[in-house]
Amino acid sequence: MKGIIVLFLALVVLVIVPAVDLAFAAGDEPGEYVDRRVIIWNLFFRLMTVAFVVGAVVSGTIIWQVWRFRESHPKAKPTPYEGTDW
Amino acid sequence: MVVELAKPRPIWQIMFSTHHTDVGLLYLIMSLAFLFMGGALALIIRAELFLPGAQIIGDAMTFNRIFTVHGTTLIFLFILPFASAVGNYYVPIMVRYKDMAYPKLNAIAFWMIPPGGALVWLGFADFTWYATPPYSIISAPGPAADMWIFGLKILGISSVLGAINFVVTILKCKHPDMSIGQVPLLAWSYLTSSLIILVAIPTFAAALLMLLTDRLGVSGFFNPAMGGDPIAYQHLFWFTFHPEVYVLVIPAIGMMYEIIPRFSRKPIYSYNSGIFAFVLLAIVGFSSWAHHMYASGMSFTEKTVFMVGTLAAVPASAMHVYNFIATMWNGRIKFSTPMMWAVGGIALFFSAGAGGVANAAMPLDFSTHDSYWVVGHFHLFVMGTIAFGSIGFLYYMFPYVTGRMYNETMGKVHFVMSFIGTVLVFFTQHILGLYGMPRRVFDYPPIPEWIAMNQIASVGAMIIGVSMVLFLINMIYSSGKGKLADTDDPFGVGGKYYYPFEAKNPHH
Repeated sequence: MKGIIVLFLALVVLVIVPAVDLAFAAGDEPGEYVDRRVIIWNLFFRLMTVAFVVGAVVSGTIIWQVWRFRESHPKAKPTPYEGTDW
Repeated sequence: MVVELAKPRPIWQIMFSTHHTDVGLLYLIMSLAFLFMGGALALIIRAELFLPGAQIIGDAMTFNRIFTVHGTTLIFLFILPFASAVGNYYVPIMVRYKDMAYPKLNAIAFWMIPPGGALVWLGFADFTWYATPPYSIISAPGPAADMWIFGLKILGISSVLGAINFVVTILKCKHPDMSIGQVPLLAWSYLTSSLIILVAIPTFAAALLMLLTDRLGVSGFFNPAMGGDPIAYQHLFWFTFHPEVYVLVIPAIGMMYEIIPRFSRKPIYSYNSGIFAFVLLAIVGFSSWAHHMYASGMSFTEKTVFMVGTLAAVPASAMHVYNFIATMWNGRIKFSTPMMWAVGGIALFFSAGAGGVANAAMPLDFSTHDSYWVVGHFHLFVMGTIAFGSIGFLYYMFPYVTGRMYNETMGKVHFVMSFIGTVLVFFTQHILGLYGMPRRVFDYPPIPEWIAMNQIASVGAMIIGVSMVLFLINMIYSSGKGKLADTDDPFGVGGKYYYPFEAKNPHH
């Protein structure tokens, strides 16, 4: 549970802090629209870079898991719970 | 003993029963019927958009009617009733009670759905599933619009009655030896989503009444000509329907919590974090409704608040994904059809969530608002996560419901085709949105990129359509002629199942 809480807090920081930063890239003042737009697209690409990196890691992990922990894998072994009424 | 189809009974016995598995079966059959009806409308939409210009639908009004009924059907008449089907089968057994807390109320909640669905389908309204004013109150042709409003009213009451039943069953009828901290995560998902319904739906119920009286001309809540404000409707609508997104997705995640440990042959990695994430999603679901309305002229501060509120859902969703990954780690995973759907659902859930982060970021939302990006994002959630979790669970519960096994090969082909089709349709729609194509359009200019991407999406939709035909054949054939299932362990993975099979109380 501790690990999960630490992970949760880390995710909160990772998501919310850049998001607030992103929000303040958008201004309401007329005349600054073009510059703001450039900043927004810059942030968009940065955000997408982060999203794709995280996505690649998570998706890669899932794909690897599917391959490695399938029951037909040569190294597959029974889990400690098999044969019990878990 | 309840194995529904292996021991056939007269249909009227099931129809007039209040037993939870009978009501669950009725929910199941009806929700699948609406899945195919709503899906057929989706194929018509995609066929129309295959090329610019009118293809198979004569006019824009008919097109609007088709996508309105498509959305309404699949959300209110497939996803929600399907969740109720699973909940009816499993929740009483999981909390070790003989039935739902209020069996007659349960049957009434089900029997409100057919008339609600009939009103939606016979009316065939054209104002989108948002029924956004001022169009819906001034111009939308009646009686279709009024029938839609009454239909949704009935479906909303049905949802509230069902939610009351789930909450009372779980909190008050669970076995005295069982603490709330021992209730399985699938039942927890029903508890949290039911609580969301109870808080959220009354707001929409009020909005529907206001919409109706506005249409009748006796009030002007949302009518600018009478001093009303259409934006107020959007607030009321999204206060209900952003949390409703979690009402749809939380049971699907709960179903994955049942499938993934079972086929990984080990318990869930962190039960407590699963509960924590469900509760957190239920709470933050109410702090983000106005992210659908960034373009409606809110102040900068309001937009920032709702953006942060929306992004607060990301850690909770990520906790589920990491919980699933940690559960599969070091398992000995059997990739039967339900597991394939569940793992595919997780992968697409993550992708949909990543797109949602960009959507929720207020400055970026202006680039994607009302574009096909939003269509792709929303559908990736409802198809890629909710429908995948639900269909996977349908395969999982199939031997318990029918006493027979489905055809495993056809189930896997169904999954592979649906996965490819889903990626083709909804990932492409994201890109189409970034290229500027607006949503809800009957026709579009012949821009080469738009045409190419629409064709990819339409081909993907046809692949899903074909896979669904295979699914239908598999379900019908296997329920009558399939191999008899070993109902103690139909998937050969061991462990303790929660069987509808174990519901041994006599039928009411």
